[in-house]
Amino acid sequence: MRVRFWGTRGSLPVAPTAEVIQAKIAQALVAAGGRSFADAAEADAFARQSLDFATYGAYGGATSCVEIEGAEGTFLICDMGSGLREFGIDSFRRIAGGHPPAYHFFLSHLHWDHIMGFPFFGPAFNPAATIVIHSGHADAETALRRQQEEISFPVPFDWLRAKFEFVVHKPGETFDVGGVAVTLCAQHHSHDSYGYRFEKGGRAAIYSTDSEHKIDNMESEAAFEAFFKDADLVICDTMYSLGDTVSLKQDWGHSSNVVAVDLCHAAHARRLALFHHEPTYTDADIQRMHAETVRYEELVRADRPALEVICAYDGLEVAV
Amino acid sequence: MSGALMDLGWEVRRAGERLVGAPIGRVDETTWEVFSAHLTAVVREAAAAGAPLVIDLSALEYMSSRGLRALTIARREAGEATPITLAAPNERMREIFAISRYDKLFKIVDDVDADA
Ligand SMILES: [Zn+2]
Ligand SMILES: [Zn+2]
Repeated sequence: MRVRFWGTRGSLPVAPTAEVIQAKIAQALVAAGGRSFADAAEADAFARQSLDFATYGAYGGATSCVEIEGAEGTFLICDMGSGLREFGIDSFRRIAGGHPPAYHFFLSHLHWDHIMGFPFFGPAFNPAATIVIHSGHADAETALRRQQEEISFPVPFDWLRAKFEFVVHKPGETFDVGGVAVTLCAQHHSHDSYGYRFEKGGRAAIYSTDSEHKIDNMESEAAFEAFFKDADLVICDTMYSLGDTVSLKQDWGHSSNVVAVDLCHAAHARRLALFHHEPTYTDADIQRMHAETVRYEELVRADRPALEVICAYDGLEVAV
Repeated sequence: MSGALMDLGWEVRRAGERLVGAPIGRVDETTWEVFSAHLTAVVREAAAAGAPLVIDLSALEYMSSRGLRALTIARREAGEATPITLAAPNERMREIFAISRYDKLFKIVDDVDADA
């Protein structure tokens, strides 16, 4: 399988201001220290090598949308955040190259940041496309129709031309989509949310966002350890610090980097992707949070095999 | 979650007015339950005696989020009447408090006899 991140931000899409870009350019020029470059490619090679990610790159600001590539004959997409628009455009390119116009979506839940990309999903207008929407929520269709009602959007759901199907699943009951085995896990979040486990060829990838691990419900930890068991990649909501999740931001429905590391350790997962980044965080803030998480993993690793901690950004691709 | 429960040691002592609880070893997914049980007991003992509580961390290797969350539960149980101070964490534990931002939630002092 191959995992492609189209949107990694939590709660609200964000975009860098001119000031943010100017600061990156200024830092790059300082790092260049008066060097001269023959062309843009040479300058790019220098920048790539000598600047940190927060300066040379960016985590992006589109909300939750993650593609799981590897099913036969269909696209698999977790959530419909604002990152979905770019995925939709890219899927036209791939369809032109012979990929069938079939889409299977897996919704964590129906909060705005996880469905707001759908009205901008071009393939929904393709009469040849089939779109199957898997969810743990019986009201998924209501949520998608409602956000395209006249008061909110000019194009009603009924104008969409693709063939739609909504499928509601029970947690723990595995089903097959294009040769990929999919299982849901109930999570603690306002109006509920669900995590997804995708398995193919002995490999497993987990999508677990908008999931609060309550301080006084350690029994549910065992359920998540089982759900994450031996996973090759676990994509986890790590929006807040643990301190915030037990104080000011308790019951806001999100989790922390350190709880994600501990769950992955206990589950013997191989790789953790930090996800659903706080929208007020700058690139430098997210980079720092990533470095702190890598360090925390070392501090509590003990005699376990190392857990690789990566930080999701818009455009990241990971082989699973 | 059963065989390894003995891995965490725990001692309670008096230090003047204060009650001191001291975990020995590490707190992770195999030992957090016994840690939490000891914490609850010592919070109740401190509350009954009207004594401030100090958790002496000098013999603690480290605690993961399980232990940190148990600390929060203990403080909720203790309420305002029984202040809890964390004392003498090693370097590793100091880093864990900083990364988890627990250094903003708890009073952390260098040694057990520091003014609580
Ligand atoms: Zn969200
Ligand atoms: Zn949500």
